[in-house]
Amino acid sequence: MRHVLRLLSVLAVLALGLAPAQETYVTFNADGSITIRLLTDDETVTFAPGELGNLVGPGLQPYAGKTITVTTNSGGVMGGISGPIYQVRPAWEELTGAKLNIVEIPLGEAFPQVFADLQLGTGQFDGFIVGADWYGDLVEGDFVVPVDTYFDNPGFPTWDRSGFPPSLQTLYTWGGRWYGTLNDSDGQVLYYRRDILTDPAIQAEYQAATGRALVVPPPTWDDVLSIARFLNGRDLNGDGEGDSGVVLHLKVNAQGLFHFISLAVPFVVTRPNQPFWFDPDTMDPIINSPGHVRALEFLIELSQYGPAAQVGWDLGEGWDYFLRGRAAFVFSWGDVGSLVQIPERSDIKGKLGASILPGVREVYDTASGQFVAVDPPNVVGNTTGGSWHGMISVLTPNPDVVYHLWATQATRSFSLWNVRQGWTGVDPGMAWHFVPPYGNASLEAYLSQGWNADDIVEYHRAYRDNYFAPLNLSFLRIPGAFEYRQSLDQNLSKAESGQLTPQEALDLTFAQWQETTDRLGRDRQRAIYRASLGLE
Amino acid sequence: MQKSPIKYVFLLPAVLWVLAFTIFPLIYSLRISFYNIRLGRNVSAIWVGLHNFARVFTDSRVQESVVVTLVLLVTTVTAQLVLGIALAVLFNRHLPGRSLLRTLMTTPLFATPVAVGLLFLTIYYEEGGFINSILPWKIPWISHPQWALVGVGLVEIWQWTPFCFLVFLAALQSLPDELYEAARLDTSSGWRVFRSLTLPMLQPVVILVLLLRLTEGLKVFDIPWGLTGGGPGTATQTYSMFTYRAGFRHFDFGYSSALGYVMLIAEMIVITFFFKRMRQVYE
Repeated sequence: MRHVLRLLSVLAVLALGLAPAQETYVTFNADGSITIRLLTDDETVTFAPGELGNLVGPGLQPYAGKTITVTTNSGGVMGGISGPIYQVRPAWEELTGAKLNIVEIPLGEAFPQVFADLQLGTGQFDGFIVGADWYGDLVEGDFVVPVDTYFDNPGFPTWDRSGFPPSLQTLYTWGGRWYGTLNDSDGQVLYYRRDILTDPAIQAEYQAATGRALVVPPPTWDDVLSIARFLNGRDLNGDGEGDSGVVLHLKVNAQGLFHFISLAVPFVVTRPNQPFWFDPDTMDPIINSPGHVRALEFLIELSQYGPAAQVGWDLGEGWDYFLRGRAAFVFSWGDVGSLVQIPERSDIKGKLGASILPGVREVYDTASGQFVAVDPPNVVGNTTGGSWHGMISVLTPNPDVVYHLWATQATRSFSLWNVRQGWTGVDPGMAWHFVPPYGNASLEAYLSQGWNADDIVEYHRAYRDNYFAPLNLSFLRIPGAFEYRQSLDQNLSKAESGQLTPQEALDLTFAQWQETTDRLGRDRQRAIYRASLGLE
Repeated sequence: MQKSPIKYVFLLPAVLWVLAFTIFPLIYSLRISFYNIRLGRNVSAIWVGLHNFARVFTDSRVQESVVVTLVLLVTTVTAQLVLGIALAVLFNRHLPGRSLLRTLMTTPLFATPVAVGLLFLTIYYEEGGFINSILPWKIPWISHPQWALVGVGLVEIWQWTPFCFLVFLAALQSLPDELYEAARLDTSSGWRVFRSLTLPMLQPVVILVLLLRLTEGLKVFDIPWGLTGGGPGTATQTYSMFTYRAGFRHFDFGYSSALGYVMLIAEMIVITFFFKRMRQVYE
């Protein structure tokens, strides 16, 4: 027995000696700053002294022995939204001593899975990456922890809320309280081929063909339609094949409906906090108003100048088509602007133009029930999309640990790293994300990441204009938002694939929304909707 | 021995299993089908009587999904049976490489349906997918309502025909040779032998396969889910998909339970009808 023990001891010593030295991801600098190494990107992020709070430091691991599990969108180590969490994980675990489990959930399943976990009280997730439209269900259901209680606590990472445009701040708060920590900013802008639209020969040809000047960026949707029609079928990328005027991602049960939402706003909304979804007095839907119907008719007409397959395309296919230079226009999220900069994925780096979504010259006036002419065009910003960010489950025994993780991601240093990458899915929105003259971020830092100087100015101007627009769409965030959206989505898809007329599709949506509202409780829904518009 | 109580001890796990995982959910879901129920920290359950069942019969989305399910069911099950029998007859003869071909024929059966849906997404891809790249014209497999339904149906047929083929082949191989030898004395027509001899003898197996495929086909979910997500619009949304969405997307558990019960009753009718028919055949 003694010999066996001796042998085991020798083997143990040998094993320890042969084991590779443990990798270090954190460096505590002499000036108090902390540099972390990311997982796979061979990159580092340096946090200013105190930026990560005073709970962490040399020899300190405040959450040693604790484990948290958070959800994120499926995408893997280098995927949109999920990637940054993987990238920071080893350093964050080393800093805090906690163990972080990451659960990936496909986009369409994310809300149902998280909500089921909360409803059933399972509590398997301590935190989650949420979409902005989940707030009504999560906050009104008392399922999440407000985070503003941490703001003055010097132990936790500090993150800058001064750069939030009001349109985005609304998405991270509810009833005046903060529930989300800064991560992603979503809104759709118009992307176009700057090289083509500013080509003097094309401009002259367009003028001759249509009798109107080709204004860049196009100020109205009618201009976009006219240019898309003009360019459709031409070879836009030099491969000898005819390309498309526009490309859309219209797949049902994915993110197709957001095209309609973003496009329809200027047809309907002419004043701040004007309802877009429901009548706030009766909670009757207004989704089938003549303004909405005209917007859908327009979207379907515009889609005629894109590939027929786009009815079944999700983001990846739609973006790829544009990135390969096969369409003159796409209107979509910030990912497009940053993906254009990745040579492996894009053939149009240095050729990108971007602007806030165009306006319309005729808007539907709900008071008179008529379309009225407006000059200049009615332009409205949007925060369409997920604006994916972290929240803390009310069921977690470790809310501090979860907040520490989300707050680390929200710090200015990490957030800037995030938005400078092409692949993280984290899009810019803070004033301090934008390069001058639209913000105070360092242009050099973006250029060093491989951005084209002209592209980035276009891109940041578009997003600054969008988020800071005087008029902005009030995003639907009431309980049941997922269900309302899915009804709309399916009926839009029916119209886009020719199964229903736009009027029929939106009338059907009206009926289905009425049913949903009655089931969820009309009075409660009305009160929450009014609150979301700032009416109460 | 016969009166030994030990048999109850051995039976107990199975009884508990059935009680816990079949009977209890069945009763519980029947109960909640009479409520407008929202789970959560503030559980609310409002008695609505038969309202959820009434919704099943008045909801246009249900009607659409029933049509989609029936169209898929009738076309794919018919095709699976016909192809299954044809292939079984073919493979019941002496063919060179028969074993290898038979193995290859059955491989679709072992693939996960959701993965099959995703696989065919790339095969059907309209801009340069495998099929459209070899055809002189582009078929809108995913973006056109009718073509999407055709696309889903073809994958269903591709995956489940091998099941019918395997069962029919086993049945054919069990038929006595003497009958065929006697039949060949009466006629030289292979079709007549098949129609008058093979088919009648296969009838019980055909009914069994039909029953299995109908009950499975009524629940079709994973292939359209992976391939089209039910779209475009709701062109390929089946009844099961709609039921799932009502329950686990919209958290309308009462309605979802009612939908499930209506499906259960429909399946029971189908099964009863076919069992009766089988009994008649055997008798």
